Parts: sequence; C-alpha cells; structure tokens
Amino acid sequence: MPQLKKILAVVIMVFIPISSFSHDNEKHSLKGMSKADKLDQCVEPTEKMQKHHFEYLYHQRENTVEKGIRTKNHSLANCIDCHVSHDEEGNAIPINDEGQFCQTCHVKTAVNIDCFSCHASIPRDSLSRTKSQVHSRNTHIESTAKNLVEYYNETNYER
Amino acid sequence: MRLIMKDRTHLTRREFIVKSITAISAVYIIPDIISKAEASKPLDAEVSPKTKWAINVDVTKCVDGCTSCVEACVDENGLYGFDRPETDSQWIRKLRIKDIKTDKVTTLPMMCQHCENPPCVDVCPTGASFRREDGIVMVNQHTCIGCRYCMMACPFKARSFVHENLTEQVTSAPRGKGCVESCNLCVNRIDHGSETTACEEACMKEGHNAITFGDLSEPDSRVSIAIKTKSSRRLRADMRLKQRVTYSGF
Repeated sequence: MPQLKKILAVVIMVFIPISSFSHDNEKHSLKGMSKADKLDQCVEPTEKMQKHHFEYLYHQRENTVEKGIRTKNHSLANCIDCHVSHDEEGNAIPINDEGQFCQTCHVKTAVNIDCFSCHASIPRDSLSRTKSQVHSRNTHIESTAKNLVEYYNETNYER
Repeated sequence: MRLIMKDRTHLTRREFIVKSITAISAVYIIPDIISKAEASKPLDAEVSPKTKWAINVDVTKCVDGCTSCVEACVDENGLYGFDRPETDSQWIRKLRIKDIKTDKVTTLPMMCQHCENPPCVDVCPTGASFRREDGIVMVNQHTCIGCRYCMMACPFKARSFVHENLTEQVTSAPRGKGCVESCNLCVNRIDHGSETTACEEACMKEGHNAITFGDLSEPDSRVSIAIKTKSSRRLRADMRLKQRVTYSGF
C-alpha cells in the first residue's frame, strides 16, 4: 500500500502541473504581430480567457444562431479580427495555420477542434484586399452563377 | 389666501388647454417615436416575433437571362462552387416556367420560402433546422448531422448539401462540409441593421425591382406596400405552409 501511495503521489506531482498550469498567464509567442498584442488584456482577464474562452464562445454561438444576438465581445469573428497576424505585405495569415494564435496552444494542449472548416480564419475585410483578388473573385462568382442558371434552364418545368 | 387656494384646486381655461394638449400628444405622438426607434434592432437584443421578415417577388418584372440576384447571393455568402451544378450549393436560383397552352415563358427567382409551418423543421431529428422568432427558417450548422431529411421534405427544393471541403468562406456566412444550408434572408446583414438582402439590392441596382424585402409587421415597409398594391399568392398554397415569400403576377 505505501508503494501504491508513492506511485500515486509521483503521478499527481508530475501530471497535474503539466495539464493545468502549462499556459497560465503566459504571453503567447507571437508578440508584436497582431492588434491583441498591443493591449493589456482580452475582453476578460487573461487567466479567465485561457481557461474559459471556449465556454464564452459556446454561449455566444447559441445566442447568435438562435436568438440573433450579435454582440462583439465574445464572438469568434471578433477574436479573429484582433488576434490574427499579418505577413510583411499586410495580408492576414489564417489564424489556424501552424504557429498562429489558435493553433499554437491547441497543439501544445492536444486539443483538436473544428471551428475553421466552416468559419473564416481571416478577418472579414481581408478577402477583398488586392485588386487581382477582387478580379478573380468576380470571375469566380460569374462562372458559378452562370453554371447554376444554365443547369436550371435545361431542366424543364412545365405545367 | 382664499384666491390662491382656489387657483390650486381648479384649472384655469389656459391650464386646461395646455394640459390636455400635452396629454393628447403623449398618447398619440410618443408611441410613434418609440416604434421608429425600435425598428432597427440593437445588437444585444433578441429577435422578437413582432418582426416578420418577408419577400414579395413580382414575376412580371423578373427579366429572362438576368442573373444578378444569383450572383449577389453567391458573393454575399461565399457560395463558390466547383463547376458541378448538380451538387453545388444554390440558395437562390432562377426558374423558367413555360405555360403549355400559351407557350408564355415566365422566369422567377426561387429560394427558401420561409414557411410559418416549415416541413424541414418537422422532420429534423436534431432540431438543427429551426425557425427563428422573426420568421427566418435556417439551419444551425453546429447541430446539423447532414442527414438531409429536410432536403427531402422541402417542396421547393430550396436546400443544398455541402459535399466537399470548403476553403473560401466569408465571415458573415460560415458553411462547411457535411451540413445542409439554404437561404437565410441574409440574416447577418439584417441583424446588423441592414434593411435589404443581397438579392433585393442587386435586383434594385439592375433597375428591375422584382424582389421586394421588408418587415410585414410595419405597414409602411416596402414589402407591405407591395403586397397591398398587387395581388400576390403563395406557391402551392394548398399545402398550407404559410410561406413568407409570395409571388405576384402569375
């Protein structure tokens, strides 16, 4: 029995600090790259955000989708607006890319979530940043719409 | 002393007139001001059933060959396809209807009809397909499991399924593989105070004015006026789905 207790003590001493204190009050490694780095704290105190940001996000998502509440403080779009980094040309780097804000922590703590298979990973205004991008986007839109219309014109609806 | 007492208990003619005018204005004018202030919803407020978003489509004004509403929808919601129209998402599409007897061709935009009794909500096993308080029928993609019952149930073929991994989503319209999606009346724009949807805006820019969007609960809104001045009908009204999208000019 004493041996079991000793093993238990070792396990607790080794693993609990790793699991719960790994990121406490640590500034993230990309300092100076995003709007958020210039601010003292996030929308809530830093320690709170590190442990409970997903709870805020879950709560906000229910409110937004079901009740149409569009407050900015806890919205994912706003997280991205503030925490996204930019490259030398000023283009936003997707926030879930390797080494970026979301991904750094989630890799370290082995969290695998799936926000960005649906949500945009760059801020809302950066899609139409350069002229060439706008042009390619417009031709894309035209071809998509044209395809759809042609397809439904070929289908006959008679009454 | 007696005079003063008398003044306090009885109103003079002037006081009576002033006070009664104030009271009348309070009753008739202030509610008008308040209702106008409430018209655009603050960001932190819940949607209320008092608002009734609706669309009226004037088929006679819809031009054959014009695709501006479809393009606007693709642009607004980032519905870039894979050049595979059988499976690509379409939230709004143009239909061409031909009358067999007269050969008269009519084109019209077809999108989610935002039923008050939506069959897609009835069949959804997870409650992902739901009707918001203000009448917008939409999919909660966080709970959608992609079973596509709603696509089978919809008599208007309004919904699409995302078959492939997507990359170029826009912030205002999150969408991804394995979920069903459909027109949500540009819910993000409207919640942020816009008074028009992308398709209506595009149709007005083209100068056709076939699509009219607005709040049915306001008697002065564009859609209310359109419905009052034109005879309009719901498609397949025999199913009693009470769609919020109506068509004029058939």
